[in-house]
Amino acid sequence: MNRTFKTDCIGYALFAILLLVVIPWAVSFDGFALNTYARYLALGMVAMALALSWGYAGILNLGQAVPFSLGAYIMAMHLKLQASAHLPGGLPDFMGWTNVEVLPWFWQPFHSLPVTLVAGIAVPVALAALLAVFMFRGRITGVFVAIITLAFLVAVQLMFIEEQRYTGGQNGLTGLAPLQLFGWRVDNYSTQFYYLVAVCLMVSLAIGLALVRSKVGLVLKAIREDASRVRFFGYDVARYETLAFCTSAAIAGWAGMLYVLVLEFASPTYMGVAFSLAIVIWCAVGGRESLVAAALGGIIVNLLEGRLSDMFVDGWTFFLGALFIVVVLVAPRGLFGLVQSAVRHTGKVLRSERGGARARWLATGVGTRRIDNGGR
Amino acid sequence: MDAFLNQAFAGLSMASILLMVALGLAIIYGAMGVINLAHGEFVMLGAYSAWLLQTYLGLGILVALPVVFLMVALVGLLVERGVVRWLYHRPLDTILATWGVAILLQQLVRSVIGPESRYVAGPSILDGNLVLGGVVMSNYRIFLIFFSLAVVAATWFLLKRSEFGTKLRAVIQNKEISECYGIRADRVYSLAFAYGAGLAGMAGALITPLVSVTPTMGTYLVVDAFLVVIVGGVGSLLGTVAAAGLVGEATAMFSMLMNDTIGRIAVLLAIIFLIRFKPMGLFPDKVRR
Repeated sequence: MNRTFKTDCIGYALFAILLLVVIPWAVSFDGFALNTYARYLALGMVAMALALSWGYAGILNLGQAVPFSLGAYIMAMHLKLQASAHLPGGLPDFMGWTNVEVLPWFWQPFHSLPVTLVAGIAVPVALAALLAVFMFRGRITGVFVAIITLAFLVAVQLMFIEEQRYTGGQNGLTGLAPLQLFGWRVDNYSTQFYYLVAVCLMVSLAIGLALVRSKVGLVLKAIREDASRVRFFGYDVARYETLAFCTSAAIAGWAGMLYVLVLEFASPTYMGVAFSLAIVIWCAVGGRESLVAAALGGIIVNLLEGRLSDMFVDGWTFFLGALFIVVVLVAPRGLFGLVQSAVRHTGKVLRSERGGARARWLATGVGTRRIDNGGR
Repeated sequence: MDAFLNQAFAGLSMASILLMVALGLAIIYGAMGVINLAHGEFVMLGAYSAWLLQTYLGLGILVALPVVFLMVALVGLLVERGVVRWLYHRPLDTILATWGVAILLQQLVRSVIGPESRYVAGPSILDGNLVLGGVVMSNYRIFLIFFSLAVVAATWFLLKRSEFGTKLRAVIQNKEISECYGIRADRVYSLAFAYGAGLAGMAGALITPLVSVTPTMGTYLVVDAFLVVIVGGVGSLLGTVAAAGLVGEATAMFSMLMNDTIGRIAVLLAIIFLIRFKPMGLFPDKVRR
């Protein structure tokens, strides 16, 4: 058991206590407050997913909102169908307004909950795999990955807004039914629901940690530092990058599903450029080198947004912009980096003090005089 | 046939706008490797400057152009001095920091001037259309096409024939060695960034009669312009011109065959393929780095 593994375990345990005990207790199990926190947790989950690909493998994915919003839309489609059961043909209301006669084939499977739950992760992963194989087989790296994923994000958003007949266009999917999870009617303002989201976050975090603690994680870090050398060692770099990209997409899709349950609607703003870049900054604020820190970053920034935007409506956007700049300029490793260097620093001070005492003990006369001088 | 030619003209007009926006970006990215996501906001500031000058001082767009250029160039200079210059060795981080700048500038305009859209009148000399057979071309759009080409010519002259351009190219090739020859690299970078920003501002002022001026007008423009720069090839002026023409015409043609949105999506996907197979662009710069 080495030191970083111990740090990971402590971080994970503290995070679990924070989510499962401290937060619910701090808001005294108030349903409305827990709903807001559930929202922050879902967003923290996407930030964590991004840390998996950006922090560990060095793949800056500016289109992280794509898998997230796909998961969100898939869950929303299921709930919309549930809500439209009593309408003629079980057709969602907006389809009636846009003269769609029968339910399109790609809406059909989402009558079933198990299919929805699987698809909410499988569809984002399939799309991510396609894009990842396409990019990484061509040894596309760095800036070009960022540009391709950004262009892809814009294309997907345009598509969803354009196909209003099938996606609700600019309005998104609203008027959703509550989820019936195997006989349990999920109330998104309940304590149980908060725990559902919190447990999902903890499980996904555990999966992420297991991945980065494994040999795969080590290879990913090596790829981040120098992809060519890893290639010379005989590793299939593209395969590892694809794995990281897809795992990240799976967790993002999962988070998207939860997000829809929290907010009870899906909207094309979930796949906007602004939202996607916001995910990047949450991850950067927390610290992209640690999954727990990235998740915390997502939670903290959104918590601040919730608090500050109530008080000053415009002020929040200024703050967000400034946050981007300051984090990049001053603390590129995020809160995690700050904490880590602070811990190292105190460690060094403690060790040097112990060393200093020993030196004084060896050369008593000089040492005492110096201490006296210091005292004055 | 007329529909086709009309659409071709629309594509050319779009290309001229893209070209002016992308040219500044091409210099900033090509010379410094900075991915400037605030570029769209420089365009937006240019548009608002034109609106301010017209509303409060009664200056027409064409008269206001030099003033707009200087105003936005000054903003660019401040952004470079304040933020970008710390990030020259971290290209990915420039994406984040300049996006922060973009958010700040957008919110600044929204708070000070207001979120509602503004309208700017075009120059009255350029009212009316030129009708050639069945093709109707607005005089202002024709002017834009020629003006954008003139801006390219001026930029080419600046980069290849002026002392500043020689210094800039020297710094791009090797910063340390050129500093040894007494070139102040940081000053060259600042001026190049300011010039790029100024060009964006000018583009913003010129498109005001064609679009409505809002605080968010720059966001999607920057993605398009960036794609043009990458497609054209980094550091290649000719490439940027060709890519702007290509993207403009492709969008127009796809839009005619399908519809506007599907056309845009098709172009975006085509560009993704292009970047995948030719990441150095269609006309890569032959300079050794």
